[in-house]
Parts: sequence; structure tokens; C-alpha cells
Amino acid sequence: MLGLALPYAGFTALCLAMERHHEQVLGRRQIPPGLRLVLRLAGWLLLLTSPLPCLALAGWGGGSVLWCGMLTAAALLLTLLLAYVPRLAAGLALVLPTLGLLLAS
Amino acid sequence: MKPGFRQSMAWLHTWSGLLVGWVLFAVFLTGTAAYLRPEISLWMRPELEVTRPGPDIAPRLMEAMARIAPGSQSWTIGMPTARDPVARVFWRDPQAPNRRGFRDAALHPVTGEVLTARATRGGEFFYRFHFDLHYMSPIVARWIVSVCAMFMLVAIISGIVTHRRIFADFFTFRPGKGQRSWLDGHAVAAVLALPYHLMITYTGLVTLMFLTMPWGAQLAYKGDRAAMNADIFGNAPVTRPAGRPAPLVEIGPLVEEAARRWEGGSVGRIAVQNPGDARATIQLVRQDSERISFNPQSLLFDGTTGVLISATGEAALPAAETRGVMYGLHVGRFAGPLLRGLFLLSGLAGSVMVATGCVLWAVRTRQQAEKRGRVGFGTRLVEHLNIAAIAGLPVAMATFFWANRLLPAQMEGRAEWEIHLFFAAWGLCLLHPLLRSGRRAWVEQLGLGALLFALLPLLNFAITRRHLGVTLAEGDWIRAGFDLGLLALGAALGAVALLVAQHGRTRPGTRCRAAAPLATAEAAE
Repeated sequence: MLGLALPYAGFTALCLAMERHHEQVLGRRQIPPGLRLVLRLAGWLLLLTSPLPCLALAGWGGGSVLWCGMLTAAALLLTLLLAYVPRLAAGLALVLPTLGLLLAS
Repeated sequence: MKPGFRQSMAWLHTWSGLLVGWVLFAVFLTGTAAYLRPEISLWMRPELEVTRPGPDIAPRLMEAMARIAPGSQSWTIGMPTARDPVARVFWRDPQAPNRRGFRDAALHPVTGEVLTARATRGGEFFYRFHFDLHYMSPIVARWIVSVCAMFMLVAIISGIVTHRRIFADFFTFRPGKGQRSWLDGHAVAAVLALPYHLMITYTGLVTLMFLTMPWGAQLAYKGDRAAMNADIFGNAPVTRPAGRPAPLVEIGPLVEEAARRWEGGSVGRIAVQNPGDARATIQLVRQDSERISFNPQSLLFDGTTGVLISATGEAALPAAETRGVMYGLHVGRFAGPLLRGLFLLSGLAGSVMVATGCVLWAVRTRQQAEKRGRVGFGTRLVEHLNIAAIAGLPVAMATFFWANRLLPAQMEGRAEWEIHLFFAAWGLCLLHPLLRSGRRAWVEQLGLGALLFALLPLLNFAITRRHLGVTLAEGDWIRAGFDLGLLALGAALGAVALLVAQHGRTRPGTRCRAAAPLATAEAAE
């Protein structure tokens, strides 16, 4: 669960740092520079930590394959939601990791 | 004017993709289905019970083989697993009618009794079709598929070069905008699953490398194919019988020995040569779902004394292990349910990528042609083949499942007829667009596919005992999951059919007035 939630949240943060998608979700094109930096940093940080649950679950070999799959699944999910229900796409980025943490603990 | 690097790559991408797109779509989609090979096979044999394998199943199966194949020189026993809960056995029968003299049967995972089920190729058909095609020699087919895969690799690499805005358009999908949407969809399906596409295409080539690039191996083994096969595939060398009868050793201790040597690994296959003869051998091959690498680990025992003769695959050489891992990644048998789901998803993304690529070509060419006021034969041909290849294949696959349920169980040549009907349905889908205009043909074929898939679970209620009411209640998750998957597939196809139909109503004729920059134009910017 966390294996999907982390890359999903990471991708969402990165995508909210892009003007086109920021507008889709929040309705304004201008992104304050500070916010943009925070989003970018958070996004990359989340993506960097995202292999950890996969590696913990399936070891080095299987885990790295699993991680690639999770990245793909997360990005596909985000892209589709963004196209049809952008608000939900952003909301899910908060809900999924919370759920993941709850399930993991 | 000299074309730039990106433009020449765009040209390469367009043509390498288009030329083989239809074959690739079929290979991709049936290959994706092949991840579910045991599940499909089980679903297509509703007679079989799902029972957990018993604890001392190996001796039971050996006794059963001695009973049903007494005069045979070789037996192979595929052990039952959670995914495929019956033992699949085959043996050489000197009296068998088919050319190599093999017979096969499914055995009960607890008692070892022979189970009877309808004759069908099951999931095996999709697995074979995705590299052997059908109605032709497997060697020719594998060459065709290999060449297509090489084109695919070229198309992927040139596609990455052509796609100038990979990061800017990473999450971009704008639906309902004609050509723009097709391009977005193509790029999203391609980029987001790119690790998978590269991996599956490259490793696919690796699985067939001894056919397409045999020189290295020929040189190393000096033409000794038997020795090469023994090294690569772990087949035990064939031994001649001594002609003196001797009883087979107990299998139980050998299985324990294997578990010890493989650190808890389990036996996936038992191959016995010359059973009942003084020169009997027993080979135990490790379950292939336990490791990524496809290099089989196996142990060869003397069949009368139980002494270990040789062990393979324990310390594979780097080159062999590389191939083993690539092969293993391609077939994905090590994948648990979660990872298998991701492989399925990526495989579908790959099918979508190929399909949208082909459609994109047709949409773009028609648009250019209409500007010139004349739609050429080539454009119409591509449009026609797109419909048959992309919308027709799901119809054919669904027909295969319907044939499995409706053909009489005792029919002669039943398994072959399921396949003939698959191709007949596909053939009709190829003719159908001749009678209908492009969009109507799309909608009708997609809609038909949707109906056929969605009605299959209902058909199960009508004619089998394994319908959702029973499978869900009994916890038969394989069959229940497959039925639910069919429903989902039907819904997805139906949604696409509706979208295409709606789009046609709002903007009759051309699909994309609000033309956006093309891939090539983008590259030129």
C-alpha cells in the first residue's frame, strides 16, 4: 500500500509544481516561488523514499522490479484522475499515504 | 533542406511502428493474457475441483504414473501449485497416435486419480500464440515475431528521441480533443510504462536469441545441440534402458534432499527416465516461481539407488545467469499476485500504446489527405486493418471463451475447434469494415467485444456449476477473479465504444478539427 502511496504522492507534488497541472487542480496559473520549491523538494524526497517499502517487501531483486511497476501504476492513476477528476487526484495524494501508514503500523 | 536528427527519428518511429503495429498489438495483448496462463486454463476447465495439494503428493503421483503409463520410457510430472491446483503429467507412449508419442493427463492433487475435463488448450493457446502464432511453422512464426520485436525496440528508442517534451508532458492527458488526445494517450501509455516496455521487448528478443543469433552458441558447443540444451534448459541427457528390470527408489527422501539443497525451495517438476529399469534416472526441477532467474535448478538422481548424479543451476555462469534473469523477467513467473497485477497493467499499457500509435497514424494521415481533398488507398487500408487488428482481437478472444463453454464436451477435435473459431471470428472482423463506414465498424466491433466479455459470467450461471454465486461462496478466488475480470474488461470495452460513438455524434466526419501540433511538427519546433 505504502509502495503505491509514496510514488503517487511524490508524482502529485511534482505535478502540482507545474503550471499547467497547478491550474487544473487549484484554478490559478501562478505558483508562488516558495511553494513551488517546497512541492518540488517534497516530490523528489517522496520518490526517493518510495523504493523502501518495495525493497522491504520483496528484497533487492523482486523489490526493484516491484518498484518500477509501482511507479508506473502510480503515474498512470494520477494522469487518468487528473484528466477527469483533478480535485480527487490531488486529494488522493493526502489520503493514500495516510492509509498506507495506518495499514503499515 | 536537410532534415534534422529529431525529424529523421520521427520518420523512423512512425514507419517502424506502423509496419509491425498490428502484429505487435496481437503479440502484446495475447502475451498479457499469458501472464494468466494457469488461471485461464483452470477457468476453461470448469470440471476441475480446486483442492489444496496433499502433503505427500509426490509418492502418490509416482504410483499413479506407474499405474497409467506402465510401459513408458519417460514420465514428466508437473507438481500442483496454488495457481494451478492439479498435477499435469505427460509421458511417452510407444502406442500413442500422435507423431512424438506423447500423452497427457491431469491428476488429482491429493489422491493422484486421473481427472477428466473438456479438451481445451486453455491459457496455453495465448501463451503459444504470442510467439508461435498459429497455422504456420513455429520457426517461421518466431522469426516474424523476433523481427517485429526488433522493430519495436527501434520504435521505442526513436520514440524517446522524438518525444521532446517527455517531462513537460509527463502527466498530460487531454481527453476529447481528437488527434491531440490520441497523441497524449500514446505518449502517456508509452512513457509511464517505459521501463516495462524496454524490458519486455529486449528480454523478449533474448528469449528467442538462440534462434535469431545462434552463432555464438554454435561456436561454443561446436554444433553439439544436445550438450547445449542440457546446459541451457537443464534437460537431463537421454539414457538408453539397460533391459534389466529394477524397482524405482522411493521419491520422498529425494524430495527432502532437494528441499535441503535449495534451502527450503520446492520441487516443481519430476522427470523420470526408464522407470522400472536398472538404468532409471529421476530428475527434480525447482519450482520456477521461486526465483527471478529462469535458469532451472535441478538435481539428477539414480532411479534405483537414489544416489545424486549431478546438480545444475546452483552456480550459473554470469552470462547464463544474465539470460536466466532476463528470461525470468519476461515470463514473470516469479511474480506474486501484486506484481503480476502490475505486469498485467503494464502489458495493457503496452497494448494501448501500440493501438493508439496505429490509430494516431490513421487519424493524422486522413486529416492531411482531407486537406488535399483526396483520401488514398493506403490510408483506407490502414484504417481498415486498425479496426480488425485492434477491435477485432478482443472479439476473437471472447469468441474463444464462448466456444470453450458452448462446444459439446465430447466433440472430436474440440480443442482445435476452439482455436478455429477464434480465427473465424477474427476473420469476420476483418471483413466487417468492408460493409460499414469506419466509425460504425469501430463502435460495432468494440460493442460486440464488450457484450461478449460481459455476458460470459452470465453464461456461466446458465450452463456451468462454477458461476460467481458458487465461486465467491466457496472462496474459489481464481475463477471468481477471472469472471470479475471479464466483467471489467467488458465494461472497459463498452466505455471505449460509447466514447467513440459520442465523439462521432458531436463531430460527424472527421475526428479532429481542433488540430494540435503533430509529433513531427513538435519535433521540428
